[in-house]
Amino acid sequence: MLLVMNHFHLEMKDVSKSVFRTINGTKVKTSILSGLDLRIKTGELITIMGASGSGKTTLIRLINRLSELDSGIIMLNGNDIKNLVPMELRRKIGMVFQVPVVFKGSVRNNLAFGIKLWGGNTVIETLSRDAGIPENLLDADAGQLSIGEKQRVCIARALANQPEILLLDEPTSSLDALSAQKIEKLLLGLQKERDLTIIWVTHEKEQVERIGGRRLVLRGERLEDFHA
Amino acid sequence: MLEVLAIAFTVLLIILSAAYAQRFGIGKEILLAGTRALVQILILASIILILFEMPLFWSFLVLAAMAAIAGHTTYSRSGKLENGLPVAVISIACASLLLLIPFFLMGIFPLEARYIVPTGSILIGNAMNVSSLAIDRYKGELKNKRSEVEAYLALGAKPELAAAACLKQGILSALIPSIDNMKNLGIVWIPGVMTGMLLGGADPMEAASIQIAIFTSIFVAGMIASSLVLYYSTDSFFTNAAQLKEDLD
Repeated sequence: MLLVMNHFHLEMKDVSKSVFRTINGTKVKTSILSGLDLRIKTGELITIMGASGSGKTTLIRLINRLSELDSGIIMLNGNDIKNLVPMELRRKIGMVFQVPVVFKGSVRNNLAFGIKLWGGNTVIETLSRDAGIPENLLDADAGQLSIGEKQRVCIARALANQPEILLLDEPTSSLDALSAQKIEKLLLGLQKERDLTIIWVTHEKEQVERIGGRRLVLRGERLEDFHA
Repeated sequence: MLEVLAIAFTVLLIILSAAYAQRFGIGKEILLAGTRALVQILILASIILILFEMPLFWSFLVLAAMAAIAGHTTYSRSGKLENGLPVAVISIACASLLLLIPFFLMGIFPLEARYIVPTGSILIGNAMNVSSLAIDRYKGELKNKRSEVEAYLALGAKPELAAAACLKQGILSALIPSIDNMKNLGIVWIPGVMTGMLLGGADPMEAASIQIAIFTSIFVAGMIASSLVLYYSTDSFFTNAAQLKEDLD
């Protein structure tokens, strides 16, 4: 008998999550994801749209376990993520936040963070070139950079861990149109070059059209195909 | 006669300050705090008086009780963190004891209740103040710098590493008043022990030497206690899956 293993790179089954929201000074438990399913193949790019507060950020935070799901299961390469050491899981699943947070010190120190933590043979100069960071900025204070430059540092810092999956939480929302398109181009180039699986959360329809990939929308606590 | 005058003066000051502070709405609080302080210090004096006649073991028992109460105060300030009570009590007790022992080992003070209880209580009280300030600030830093802490976690950092900058800030902020006090020691104020010794007729050099030894011990005990409290409290701010807890209030 031929046993066919049909593992997806990432699979979410019947995932539910509630959060506490403060309404009129009272904390109210609100369900934001319910019975959500998602299957992603290796190297696939998916975009997730949705209204503000629909749970897009919460959804991707569940994938790298920055938040905990209430019920359901999330599997990475067929393994329940709860069986993986959270730190190891986060090395495999990188995340770029909406507002870039750089660590105290130089750009070089920021990029070297993951390399010091996890080892590996990533060369900082190559990484910075791939992320579009000019070499003369490597020794600059990361805190003094523009938001666009900071976001590039955050992307490069996440890539230094050589992740399999990259979670992007509206990475261009705090940038001007020109910087946003440059970051888009950079990320799409990196995705092809490194065969990265990317989950890109955005609220901009135009951006979704520019990016391409599989388009999903978070509506009524679940994911649906998005048709423009 | 001297005691009666001093107590009468204290009562007068408490009443007058409470009456004045009433316009700020804290008169009752000052009256209560002042009365509590007066009663507590008189009880303490009576206990020390009794301790003079009892075996030394009892002095250490009194200090242990003080450390337990101090630990509880810091624990309450931390928002009653999981495992926070034993961490606070043990940290304050160990740091204070560590700095108390040399005074007797080196022969600065004779091993008597008269010296053990007051010196120990100064160390415990200050270790409590510094630890309470430190844990309060640490919690605030973790709350305000959630995005930075989570950025570290998202790269695979362990909670201790993700919270390191917040912990450092917590300790630094708590120690700033002590560092400032140390800088200005003898210039803008004469601290309590030295004042007491001078009033008791001691030689100024002797009083100053003992004061500086106690002062630096207080500082070191506070630093050690707050470091221990914060270090061992870190896990309480994170879940088993290395997530920064959502509700840090």
